[in-house]
Amino acid sequence: MIKIERLQKRFVQGRGRHQRIVQAVAGVDFVAADGCITGLLGPNGAGKTTTLRIAAGLIAADAGSVWVDGVDVATSPGTALARMGILSDARGLYPRLTARENIVYFAHLHGMGRQAAQRRADALAEMLDMAALLDRRTEGFSQGERMKTALARALVHDPPNIVLDEPTNGLDVLATRALRDTLRRLRSEHGKCIIFSTHIMQEVERLCDQVVVVSQGRTVASGTVPELRLATGEQDFEEAFVRLAFPPAPAPVQTPATPTQAQAQARTAAPASSLQQGAQP
Amino acid sequence: MQSLAAAFIVFRKELLDALRDRRTLVMVLLSSVAVGPLVLVLLSTLVAGIEKRAEAREVLVWGIADAPTLQNYLQRQTFTVREAPADYEALLRDSRLGSPVVVVPKDFEQLLARGEAPLVEVVMSASNQRSQTGAGLVLRLLRGFNQEQALLRLATRGVSASALEAVQVEERDLADPATRSAQLAIMVPFFVLMAVVYGALNAALDTTAGERERGSLEPLLMNPASRLSLVLGKWAAVATVGMMIAVLSCLSFLPGQWLLRSEALAAMFRFGVTEALAFIGLLLPLAGALAALLMAIAIRCKSFKEAQASATLLVLAVSLLPLVTVFHQEGTAPWHLWLPALAQTTLMGQVLRGETLSWADVALVSGICALLVVGGLSYVARSLKAAALK
Repeated sequence: MIKIERLQKRFVQGRGRHQRIVQAVAGVDFVAADGCITGLLGPNGAGKTTTLRIAAGLIAADAGSVWVDGVDVATSPGTALARMGILSDARGLYPRLTARENIVYFAHLHGMGRQAAQRRADALAEMLDMAALLDRRTEGFSQGERMKTALARALVHDPPNIVLDEPTNGLDVLATRALRDTLRRLRSEHGKCIIFSTHIMQEVERLCDQVVVVSQGRTVASGTVPELRLATGEQDFEEAFVRLAFPPAPAPVQTPATPTQAQAQARTAAPASSLQQGAQP
Repeated sequence: MQSLAAAFIVFRKELLDALRDRRTLVMVLLSSVAVGPLVLVLLSTLVAGIEKRAEAREVLVWGIADAPTLQNYLQRQTFTVREAPADYEALLRDSRLGSPVVVVPKDFEQLLARGEAPLVEVVMSASNQRSQTGAGLVLRLLRGFNQEQALLRLATRGVSASALEAVQVEERDLADPATRSAQLAIMVPFFVLMAVVYGALNAALDTTAGERERGSLEPLLMNPASRLSLVLGKWAAVATVGMMIAVLSCLSFLPGQWLLRSEALAAMFRFGVTEALAFIGLLLPLAGALAALLMAIAIRCKSFKEAQASATLLVLAVSLLPLVTVFHQEGTAPWHLWLPALAQTTLMGQVLRGETLSWADVALVSGICALLVVGGLSYVARSLKAAALK
């Protein structure tokens, strides 16, 4: 189980007069349960990748915390990472090593012995339908083949928690379907806790048991797909998402606002708190 | 203990990765290991040519028929006198003629008999290296002829020959064979230094900037292994590759000298197994330091190409620092030992001159390298996370 509590992170960009502060995460808050695929849904720049990088211990949060099976990532990153398999946005492989060597290298770094690592590589190759690739050098692999190898590498230590950051980027339909099947099996047969970050509605509808909508660095809603449709009163999930992620600016009350003021208000508007409260589990 | 085990896993993988990069390895081996001995052999061919000409004992003279006295003198010095070709000037200019030409005037004998000094020219071209080298010998011969003529004239006037020599002059060379050989072998430190740099360069850049560029650094940092063990393993692999190239480069000069075509050169070039082992001992700490410095430079760069450009400064420094020994005519200064690369060159020079190395000097030089390793690696470890995310 992964529990993310009131996470905040801001970055300082540039120097001197050109310095700019970007609030990347401003209150992400959710729980991803075991045996459940939790979709982290948000537009580009919503703070999904930063949240997952904090969860992976790569970035320190300014406030809030991430707990992996009760282990605080900030204080015990090694123990937390041993309980997580993370497929990040960057999923580079070593081109001069074979797929097996890429996978076994990470297995060894997780403290697995030689035989156990080899057995696990074979088992993962069978699960991900990549046995034919296993002893080929990864140089020249297709996007799908690279993703499978990177996923096998992330799962090599059989972690109870799996975090995937936009895993279907660049994959064709068949590879996307195969990945969905694999994730369903990992959830149902192995009871894994899976966090699946994406900005694609269809993927969330088809795969996720639970959805957390993130916008402008905040959790703006969470629940199942039907619950979110119901809460927004929209039949179409895409429409529901747009309403949640991009809430309309409050109507001007007295004096008519100039277009510039209206846009500024829209940008800074907080999400409807009732919806957020109501949608939380 | 766990950190060391993780470092060993990283080391094994990085070494395998570096050794599989065959194309780069072949280029490094060719440029760093083969070039030194090749230059040695080319140099020996050049020197052998000069020796051959010296052994030929031949002087080219234009108008020798007009100077039988000079011809007689030269022949008595066991030199063969040949008539120079008519177009000797053009031939010398184009470097097609390797020997200088002595030009005597038509009235050489008459002027000599009258006691008037005839003008004898030694024609060579400063742009023609071979003719310039031979000119010294011809000038010495002509000075000998001058002295003989002067002695004869004095003798006919009843003056002692010793009147010509107020002072007796003799050369006494203090250099023993080892010191003389050091003059030629001084090129070895330069080549082995370059071998260490180029050996470590590619692996250092690939394991830092390369890892960043292909996006494998972020997944690597998501392992429970500590950053220090990752950096330690990477450094050990890079240093090992650098050291392997250093060892190969040092050993390559051993068979290289068997190919020397000049006997004099072979006698002058004293680089045996003892010297090679001493060189290796001096270079291993440097390989470690350079590996750490190159990694520290490259971890700041987003791509391999950018890292190559940034590393140029270090490569340049390592190639230029040894030149201080050439420009600094006052011998070795204490500060030479404080600068890596220059320090190794200085100590390697001592090895070549047959001097015993002081343990204090070796400890100082190795200690500086160790400090650079610690500084470089802690910088890389600190920068690793930021590098993975940018």
